[in-house]
Amino acid sequence: MRNRLVVLAGVLALAALLALTLIPAAAQTAKAASKAYNPPRLPDGHPDLQGTYDLATITPMERAAGTPLVLTKEQALKLETQRAALREREDQPIDANRSAPPKGGDGSPGPYGNVGGYNYGWLDPGSTFTVVNGEKRASLVIDPADGRVPPRTAAGKKRMAEFAERPTSDAQESNDPGLEKAPGAYDDPERRPLGERCILGFGSTSGPPALPDYFYNNLHQIVQTPDSVMILTEMVHDARTVRMNAQHLPKTYRLWLGDSVGHWEGDTLVVDTTNFSDKTRFYGSTENLHVIERFTRVDDKTLLYRFTIDDPSTWTKPWTGEYAWPATDKHIYEYACHEANYALTDILKGARLRDQEQSAKSTK
Amino acid sequence: MPTRFLTLVLGAAAALLTASLPAAAHHAFGAEFDASRPVLLKGRIVKVEWVNPHTWIHVEIVKPDGSKEVWMVEGGSPNSLLRRGATKNSFPVGTEVVVDGYQARDHSELRANARNVTFTDGRKLFLGSTGTGAPPEDSFPADKAVTPSK
Repeated sequence: MRNRLVVLAGVLALAALLALTLIPAAAQTAKAASKAYNPPRLPDGHPDLQGTYDLATITPMERAAGTPLVLTKEQALKLETQRAALREREDQPIDANRSAPPKGGDGSPGPYGNVGGYNYGWLDPGSTFTVVNGEKRASLVIDPADGRVPPRTAAGKKRMAEFAERPTSDAQESNDPGLEKAPGAYDDPERRPLGERCILGFGSTSGPPALPDYFYNNLHQIVQTPDSVMILTEMVHDARTVRMNAQHLPKTYRLWLGDSVGHWEGDTLVVDTTNFSDKTRFYGSTENLHVIERFTRVDDKTLLYRFTIDDPSTWTKPWTGEYAWPATDKHIYEYACHEANYALTDILKGARLRDQEQSAKSTK
Repeated sequence: MPTRFLTLVLGAAAALLTASLPAAAHHAFGAEFDASRPVLLKGRIVKVEWVNPHTWIHVEIVKPDGSKEVWMVEGGSPNSLLRRGATKNSFPVGTEVVVDGYQARDHSELRANARNVTFTDGRKLFLGSTGTGAPPEDSFPADKAVTPSK
């Protein structure tokens, strides 16, 4: 695992360095591309957005400071080729007569918690950068123009610091501190992340905003009627229903996915979501999170998805990202997440056993 | 490449990675498995739970004293492998495998994470997709990954 992560880090390092030396590509305007296209329509006259989409991409949310939004085709191809080569290396056979991994852990960082994850072959991340208006994009974030999520407010920073000290159910799995560092985080199922508990997909796959998953299972399906639009997310089988031309629910109603209402602005579906639960916490947001999404069909095989995030209690200003949702003929499979979630019970049992061991030691 | 430059490169890269890569995993591996209990399991598949959020493969091993134990090893979500044509029947009962990983913190459970699952010749059971241009459904490369080792 360690080798694997070092290789991955190396490839990404190269990618990041290349990103620092990019030359801006010829710009095309977003409007020119989308206005020329006349999408197929449903009987109500609105564009037909229905279909299954594969959101996988290697474009990250943010890009390195000082680097341009658009990658040249050559740079993108080079980075994508490196990614493919990494994948190929990971598929190579390994020593059949290997011994067990080292006692004390294999050194793998972050969510792999010093014990490694599992074979790369399980993963199905994106292999290419997202393409918007024919441009290969280096970040999802387009506003602010530097491609970075704006600074947090003082309250937002304080909240994030508190998460680090005492992880709660809304903590990011990638920041998991590990049993030795934060034993209290594993005592109570209510304090485990929502993804681990099979309540929502990890990494805001369902959203809103719906983000690419950099591991696997990136399929989403849209079903559309004049009165409602349903967005199904494969991960954890989250289905969000957008009520068209409706008022938001009273503020006392708080939902895991928020309350989504929609309307058409020309040929763009605009979805406005509020009324989040205070446990949803997108990137450390509060229940005041307000997300506006814009779905535009830009060609026969692609939706352009744009999201604007506003939560004055978390960020100093609103921010916006966008990326392409390419249509796919792949099938969404059921994701019955509770079916074999032995991991959660193993984690909770592990914490209890550790408590017992420590209390036995202290009474000796 | 001068070492100092390489260090600088990797350092800069690490900083950028931290800033921009939303690494995510389904759950806390470090809290589930015990880094002080590495295991190497050589045995035969007796059952495959091809389910979410994580696949569990049951492997029967024969201990030095001749007694048998069935271990469960944890893999990833099966959905992407299904899309590549791999099902639980792609790894039939009796397939000999080698698994390395770490045992669950509760040592009464014969469970481990499957850092690597290979056939007895070192080939991996699960090969990556190539993303765009990936093999279509029902075309899992039988010559590479489905055939049990002899």
